[in-house]
Formats: sequence, structure tokens, C-alpha cells
Amino acid sequence: MLKVEKLESGYGSMQVLWGPDLEVKAGSITSLLGPNGAGKSTLLWTILGTVTPTNGKVYFEGQDVTDLPAHKKVNLGLTMVPEGKNLFKEMTVFDNLSMGAYRKEAQEVKQENLELVYSMFPILAERKDQLAGSLSGGQQQMVTIGRALMTKPKFIMMDEPSQGLAPKLIMEIFQTIVKMKEEIGLTILLVEQNAAASLGAADYVYVMHEGSIKAEGTPDEIKGSDEIKEAYLGM
Amino acid sequence: MIFEQLSGNLIQGLVLGAVYGMATMGLSLIFGVLKVVNVGHGACIMVGAYTALFMFKQFGLSPLFAVPVAMIIGMTLGLIFYYSAIRRLLKGPELATLLATFSFGVILEETIKQLFTSEVVGYNWDLPKFDIGITVLSLSKILAAVGSILVALLLYLWFNKTRAGMAMRSVVEDDDGARVCGVNVDWEYALSFSLGIGLTVTSGVLLTMFIPVGINPYMGGPYTLKAFVIAVLGGLASPYGAFFGGVVFGLVENGSYTLFAMIPGVEPFAMTRFFSFVMLLVILLIRPTGILKAK
Ligand SMILES: Nc1ncnc2c1ncn2[C@@H]1O[C@H](COP(=O)(O)OP(=O)(O)OP(=O)(O)O)[C@@H](O)[C@H]1O
Ligand SMILES: [Mg+2]
Repeated sequence: MLKVEKLESGYGSMQVLWGPDLEVKAGSITSLLGPNGAGKSTLLWTILGTVTPTNGKVYFEGQDVTDLPAHKKVNLGLTMVPEGKNLFKEMTVFDNLSMGAYRKEAQEVKQENLELVYSMFPILAERKDQLAGSLSGGQQQMVTIGRALMTKPKFIMMDEPSQGLAPKLIMEIFQTIVKMKEEIGLTILLVEQNAAASLGAADYVYVMHEGSIKAEGTPDEIKGSDEIKEAYLGM
Repeated sequence: MIFEQLSGNLIQGLVLGAVYGMATMGLSLIFGVLKVVNVGHGACIMVGAYTALFMFKQFGLSPLFAVPVAMIIGMTLGLIFYYSAIRRLLKGPELATLLATFSFGVILEETIKQLFTSEVVGYNWDLPKFDIGITVLSLSKILAAVGSILVALLLYLWFNKTRAGMAMRSVVEDDDGARVCGVNVDWEYALSFSLGIGLTVTSGVLLTMFIPVGINPYMGGPYTLKAFVIAVLGGLASPYGAFFGGVVFGLVENGSYTLFAMIPGVEPFAMTRFFSFVMLLVILLIRPTGILKAK
């Protein structure tokens, strides 16, 4: 579904990505692990197109989308749950979700998707008229995921969705992610620091360090390699 | 007697304040979306004043007809200026856009001067006046205020009830958030700049309906300064905050004018201006985010 080839990018004169290769198979949860500052978030923003690639290619469903602006990628069914959430804090939960359904194709199925989001996160239905900024961290994360689902995506990149949440909530978020794959049929690229939990949910794993991919394999292969775990995952 | 005079002036202030408010919405919109301060704000108002003047003198058309024309002229100027300059400077230091909007103002002033000379001019739209006891309001002032309120209301509805307006609001709140929803943020930038300049030029028409004299290419300066005070009052990034800020400003300006006029030996006009800027400083010191901060 998504293929990244030798992608390079950075901020100003500082290069962050040094040509990682990566493939996400349709219908899979592919996990991207790596320490702080490895360039995971930068990779996601570069795939989306808000950070401009200086070299390399991004293919989405076989189409070269390297230079496509972000909104056009969203129109193709690719979206993101960003690390900083990037919610519209002064808008209500409902308006945040409505903004998710901004693109034409998503408008048409807005009601269905809204029901889907409310059934996954019933608390959001209760709080739909509250300002997003007034919610707890966990609820804000639900809005962010809900907003992404509202775009009628095929593929979602999730950047540390469990960050800063209580252990019980982390469990729930991971269950939700697995549900999104199994029940809705979404393909997911999951960036995580929480290696243990994402090794449990993922079908395939990439390990990133200093802007390039240092290891890859099935979760069992990664778990089986003490070398990888020690060098990059601190396990 | 003094109360009559004060309340009469406050009514004038309220009516003028609505126009001031509308005249600041464009500034706040541009700042809210792009974080660009339009130093050429007053010059855009001046273009609106000349639009009204020209249509009135040349074709005998009521300034009401100048409203849509000014909107179109302003939006076109905004688009041209956005794509030729602002867009390239957004990633640079703030000084770059400040200088750019400053030169935008100068270009407008000098162009109008070439077209119309720098003579101070005015027009005389003869409409009935109403004596309401404590003060006299002309129909043209009332129309200016009603027009301003209507524009503010339309903008409010557009922002809160339409898909396009919500998209622009989402860019104000979080541009990356807007991007992951599929909003074309680049286009929203262009559109908000264009709309902001359009609103400002339109407000120039409404202002001449209030004060149809003193029109000249360099009339904009005081309006730029007032708009800064009003925008800060209203919370800077919020167009409707700015609208209410304008109403408050109109009241304070006219109220303090009346009071200063009572003090012997004080030149009330100069004092009023002084007072406005003391107010700006005090607000910035106490609540830099503005006192109204409307949603
Ligand atoms: N907007 C930015 N401007 C400049 N430098 C940035 C920006 N975002 C990230 N960086 C730098 O790029 C490098 C990679 O950061 P990135 O956020 O992609 O890492 P990460 O793997 O997501 O880390 P984390 O696990 O902490 O989220 C870091 O050195 C960081 O300081
Ligand atoms: Mg990150």
C-alpha cells in the first residue's frame, strides 16, 4: 500500500532522514520503533508532504506521490494521527470530527463515520459539545483518532498514540488500533516508543535509528534478537 | 446638560464604533491565519474611500453600490499581493512581511496619488438627518453602522456555519491539524489574505459614509494606529473580537473626547488620541492577549 524508497529530508540545513526504505502491506499494522530523535515523526511528516523530501520516493497504492501536497494525499485516503495531536482546541469535539469529514468523499459518509467513531469512543458522543481543549489527554487522543477516521482513510499513520497515557488507557488504544485493522480493514503505520505493546500488535516491524532503518522483521524475529533489542530498543 | 452631551456623544461613538470594528476585522483575520501584521492597513481603507468617492462623483452612484465593488477590488489586490510577495516571505523572519505590507501601503498611496492627485477631497451624500433629542444622526451614518454590523454578522455565520469558513477557522487553530483533514492550507492562506484586504477596503467605503470629508492618499495613517489598538482590545487573532473591540473603542474615543473638552485649556482632540494609546499600553501590559477574547 505504501512504499518509501531512500527518502531524505530535514529542517533547513539539518538533514534528518538518511534514505530509509520501508514498505507497508495493505491490511497490516506495521510498526516503526526507535529511540528519541531517530526521525520517526519526520519520516511521517515527509510522507504526508508537510516536510519537503529532498531525495527519494514515496509510492501510495503504486502511484508516485512524492511531490503531492498533503491535502491531495488525504484525498487519496492517506491521513495521520500526529504526535502533538494538532487538535482544534477552541472548537467542539463535534466540529473537530466534522473537520475530519472535510473532503468531499468523506462528507458523503459523514453520518456513518460519526456513528462508527461514537461507537468506538462513547465518551466522545457524551462530550460532543465540549471544546476539545477542555478534554483530558486520553479523550483528546480519541478525538485525534476519531478525526482521522472521519477522513474516510485507507491508510493511517499514527505517531505515538499512547504517549502520556495511563497504562489502562494505553491498552485500550492498542485494542482500538487492532480493531481498526480487523473490523474496518485499515492499513496502519504505527510509530511507537512503547516497544513491548507495539510488538504485540504489529504484523511487521522496522527499527529506525539516526534517520535510517537499522533492522526489520516480524515481531517474533525482533523479539528473538537480543542484539537489536539492546542496541535500539532499550529492552 | 453634560449627561445629555455625553450620552449623545456615546451614541455617536457606538455607531462609529461599529464601523471601526468592521474596519479592523480584516486586520485580525490576516493576523489570525497568517501571523502577518498588515502595516498597510490604513492605505487599504484609503483605497475604499477613493472607490466610494470615485463612484459617487463620476457616476453619481450611492456609496452603497461601492461596497461590493470595493470588496472585489480589495480581494483582487489581496490575491495579487499574496502571490507576488507574501507567500514567498511567510517562512522568513517576521520583519520581512512587515516591510512587505508597509511597501504595499506605500504603493497603494502613491498609485492613488498619481491617479487622483494628493488634494484633500470629499463628497456630499445628501441624506436626511434625524434629531433624536440628545444628538443628530444622519441616515448615512446609520447605514454605515448597519452595513458594518451586517458584514460582521455574515462573516460570523460564514466562519461558524459553512464548510469553507470552518476550514479557515481550523487553519487559524492548527495548520497541521487542518492539513491532516485534507484542507489545502496554502489556498486558505491566499484566501484569508484576499478576504482580509477585501474587508478592509470595503470598510473604507463605510468609513466615508460616516466621515465623507478629508479623503486624501495619506489619510490611512491614523486608521492603522486605531486598528492596532482595536485589534489588541479584541484579542488580535479574532475577527469578531475585533468587531467588539471597535465598538468599545468608539465609545471610549467619543466619551473621553466629551470629558476632555470639559477641562479648560485642554485640546480634546489631541488628548483623545493620547488617551487611546495609553489604553493600548495598559492593555498590553495587563492582558497582552486582549480583553475581549471572543470565541
Ligand atoms: N520542526 C522541527 N524543526 C527543526 N528540527 C526538528 C523539527 N522537528 C524535529 N526536529 C529535529 O529532527 C530530529 C528528528 O526528530 P523527530 O521528531 O523526527 O524524531 P522522533 O523519532 O519522532 O523522536 P521522538 O521519539 O522524540 O518523537 C531531532 O534532532 C529533532 O530535534
Ligand atoms: Mg516523534
